[in-house]
Amino acid sequence: MEAVKLMREIKTIYEQERNYLPKETGLSLIESTTENDNRGISAKCRDAKVEDLWSLTNFFGYSTQTFVLAVNLLDRFLAMMKVQPKHLACISISCLHIATKAVEEECNVSSTNELIRISQCKFTVSDLARMEKIISEKLNFELKTITALTFLHLYHRITLSDTSARKEALNLDKLEVQLKACLCRMAFSKAKPSILALSLLTQEIEAMQAGDLLEMASHVQRHLKIADAELLHWRGLVAKCMTDYSSPECSKPDHKKLVWIVSRRTAQSLQTSHYSVPELPTIPEDCWDESESEDSCEDLSSGEESLSSSLGSDAEGPYFPLHFRCQSNKYHHTS
Amino acid sequence: METTKLPPTSPSSPTTGFSVPSAEKVDGFPRRSMRRARQRRSHSSSQFRYQSSQVELTPLPLLKDAPVAELHDLFCKKLQQCCVLFDFLDCVADLKGKEIKRAALNELVESVATSRGVLIEPLYPEAIKMISVNIFRTLPPSENPEFDPEEDEPTLEASWPHLQLVYEFFLRFLESPDFQPSMAKRYVDQKFVLQLLELFDSEDPREREYLKTILHRVYGKLLGLRAYIRKQINNIFLRFIYETEHFNGVAELLEILGSIINGFALPLKSEHKQFLVRVLIPLHTAKSLSIFHAQLAYCVVQFMEKDATVTEYIIRGLLKYWPKTCTQKEVMFLGEIEEILDVIEPSQFIRVQEPLFKQIAACISSPHFQVAERALYFWNNEYILSLIEENCQVILPLVFATLYRVSKEHWNQTIVSLIYNVLKTFMEMNSKLFDDLTASYKVEKQKELKRERERTELWRGLEEKQERRLQTLGEASRNQRNLLERGEPSQPSSPQTALPEQPDTDLSGASSTT
Repeated sequence: MEAVKLMREIKTIYEQERNYLPKETGLSLIESTTENDNRGISAKCRDAKVEDLWSLTNFFGYSTQTFVLAVNLLDRFLAMMKVQPKHLACISISCLHIATKAVEEECNVSSTNELIRISQCKFTVSDLARMEKIISEKLNFELKTITALTFLHLYHRITLSDTSARKEALNLDKLEVQLKACLCRMAFSKAKPSILALSLLTQEIEAMQAGDLLEMASHVQRHLKIADAELLHWRGLVAKCMTDYSSPECSKPDHKKLVWIVSRRTAQSLQTSHYSVPELPTIPEDCWDESESEDSCEDLSSGEESLSSSLGSDAEGPYFPLHFRCQSNKYHHTS
Repeated sequence: METTKLPPTSPSSPTTGFSVPSAEKVDGFPRRSMRRARQRRSHSSSQFRYQSSQVELTPLPLLKDAPVAELHDLFCKKLQQCCVLFDFLDCVADLKGKEIKRAALNELVESVATSRGVLIEPLYPEAIKMISVNIFRTLPPSENPEFDPEEDEPTLEASWPHLQLVYEFFLRFLESPDFQPSMAKRYVDQKFVLQLLELFDSEDPREREYLKTILHRVYGKLLGLRAYIRKQINNIFLRFIYETEHFNGVAELLEILGSIINGFALPLKSEHKQFLVRVLIPLHTAKSLSIFHAQLAYCVVQFMEKDATVTEYIIRGLLKYWPKTCTQKEVMFLGEIEEILDVIEPSQFIRVQEPLFKQIAACISSPHFQVAERALYFWNNEYILSLIEENCQVILPLVFATLYRVSKEHWNQTIVSLIYNVLKTFMEMNSKLFDDLTASYKVEKQKELKRERERTELWRGLEEKQERRLQTLGEASRNQRNLLERGEPSQPSSPQTALPEQPDTDLSGASSTT
């Protein structure tokens, strides 16, 4: 049976996953580092960089797998090496590039020039190449890693293999996006991929109210001998993450990070476009100046149609109300 | 090629026969530069009216030396002297007379500017007469019929040495602390103002500069003329927009209007709103917009600051008149939109955001890189960004597909970088919305690809059918021929050939072969 084969595969992979986990002590060090500390990376720094990686993945049209792999490499590297914040950009882009070459087809991989230009980084192509070499060496060239995504795909296939009629299958793309959201938060780097994936799966099953799949999920849990407490712990964190992620509130983007380069001609026109205040002083309109107007200016078109069609209810009447001539005495002169 | 000859002119100025050597011609027409180099034809003089008897001016004593009792009389006489006009196209004629007039004008200017008690009632009509005589004239037709205000040098007024002093005098006259509007309004009447406005069409920018300041003062001080002036300016603009598309003084008039709009009382009168919608907005359609766009944009923004409810009219008006083929104008429009958005109220923004951002999305996908750049640069404006952020749910779907598509297709690398910035900004604003849109975009793409595949399949199927049909018919006709050759009567109905009625290929008919 398909399901049995899958279960066996899951078990095999499960036994290997610990080889690809970032060092826990390293992760804790990062989490305890404060933001302004120039000697090390803080969690916020790492999260921001991971978000950048996601932007780039999205922009270049790479798959979620590339992203997940890149984050895995990044976390593993940061957990084992003490890194200065100024090098973080280079390291993260290198991880992304390594992941891209490992996962994507060669024709889809964008050049390093393009990568550096778009991400507005300050280092050179040779810097990038050197860093890639360093990272690959440090990670013992173990680039085809087992990540939460691997498990997610396997779990998904198991749910599909369920022969009982299902109205709608679990949406794998949705799960992938949720995984991406989790990975942007450092807290989840400590999670075992199998458990993280299972948490996401069960959370989605519950959201879909697909009771029959819950049976399957708990079967997997027992098969892998995952403790209830551990699963609950991570499910709690995942739930919180999903709440944050799905909130309709828009947050104010950090504007200063991006560099806006325009062509010379546009830059010139931007400078000259802001019209300075003219030299002519303001002439205040007096409410009674119309009453002094000479009668001969009454030859205005009284037949002109009112603006009501275009102004809507704001129209106050014809162009030059004829009645004001009689009303000129009614204007009170305000001092 | 015939030589171009000038018509005979007045005896005082030399005639020039100007022939253009054929080497200087392009396609048989003289080059533009050659045309400009031609000498000025004297019949284009705006100032000199041929007078049968030229009045001789005798120098009068200086004003500053005159005793108080005679001061006003002398002032009057000098004013009258200045009513004599001189021909400046002829540089050597009447040098003495010209100098006398110039000195007199200078004195008059000084006197009005510095002394007090000079302007008494009898002087008003004389002063206005002198001014009228000097400045009111029919402006000559342009020397260069294809005058491009942006590129070409304007034709300057020849009689500027005198004219400038007359304008200066007029200005000081208006600004003098002794100036009495109640007295002046008898002479500076509607007819005067109308002629003044017509002068704004002068090609000489110095003259327009003076006229601008003078009209500004007239509007400020003579309250009774204000409505008339506004009406006449309306007429000038409307003629410009819909009839002639030619008027040199649009920028100056708009500058004056800017200071008037700035001073509007609230609530805004409907007359002014009508002016905005009927005149100012259509003014954006003029071909020569670049000359006066800065002043026009200022007026528009001033209106918005006075009364926020006009915002919708402005934006919808601009969108209606959005340039479709002139990218230089498109860049200007985008600049104006940014200035408008800088001062817009959030409640008004919500009312116009949909059509506005649809247009912005169209600009982003423009193949002209300056248009795309200018549109993308909106996201660098903090206030606009805060407006977008508040309405992210509405705006992002409008621009998303365009941004994605253009990032893959655009030839210009700067644009691609800017798009990345914009996409990243959106991602940071609301990542779930962004991811949802990405997902639906991908789904759309897949559907499109599927439709493409189905379409290709369909055509292939049809072509195969066609092939098979032709084959069958070919076989049938071969069989027929064989039978005829053997001399046997053709079998009308045989099991393997069921010939259709028409032997021509007709796929729409019933096919029995497939």
